[in-house]
Amino acid sequence: MSKTDNILFIILQVIAWIIFVGLSIEAGGLIVNFVFSIFSPDMLPRLYNKLDLTGIFDQSSATYYGLYSFILIISLLKAVLFYEVIKLTWTLKLDHPFTLTVARQISTISYFTLSIGLLSYIGRQFAKQVERSGFSTGSLDVFWNDSQAFVLMAAIIYVISAIFKRGVELQDEHDLTV
Amino acid sequence: MPIIVNLDVMMAKRKMSLNELSEKVELTLSNLSILKTGKAKAVRFSTLEAICKALECQPGDLLEFVSEDEKAKPD
Repeated sequence: MSKTDNILFIILQVIAWIIFVGLSIEAGGLIVNFVFSIFSPDMLPRLYNKLDLTGIFDQSSATYYGLYSFILIISLLKAVLFYEVIKLTWTLKLDHPFTLTVARQISTISYFTLSIGLLSYIGRQFAKQVERSGFSTGSLDVFWNDSQAFVLMAAIIYVISAIFKRGVELQDEHDLTV
Repeated sequence: MPIIVNLDVMMAKRKMSLNELSEKVELTLSNLSILKTGKAKAVRFSTLEAICKALECQPGDLLEFVSEDEKAKPD
């Protein structure tokens, strides 16, 4: 492995950590928002993203909990996804990459990505339905406007994991050739 | 696997230890052990040649084919 590859890999590790920390802060902020929106709604303008869905809560609490569930689950899944990516960068050794653990981790990442994509899509459809009933959900678009990208990414990662599994088989065969 | 490696039989016939064979064929003990226990998935011709030279035998003395049906038959 060349020196450039090594440096690039370290840079990717650092980027994965930064994104993970950012997503964890976002998920944490949304959880705090959710708790405050129930117990002390007047604090909301001072909290993360100033996300205030109390208008929806006043009209229908079921809709409010439904929308918030989607937002929280998606943001938590994004944080978990990047935690899995970090775990992968720690396990993956570039001079001996084809191991069963790495193959399993890549498949897990693809499942998480697919879940995020599908949940974002369902969340967006739910928000559209809610909007038709007269609720204002425009501020929530940022949480699910990248659903198609996640589904496409999941498909690509799944293909990579399948190729990786074959690589592990070939590596095993190579290791057991005397 | 229907291919059986009779390396232990040939080693016993020639009264040769695994260490001695390992030195003669320049293979690691772990690789020879993989071959002896039948865990190997493939054998290189060069390895086979070295073992045949060291044990003064034919490849047929080392490898045997026993079909799955034959294995399943009671003695």
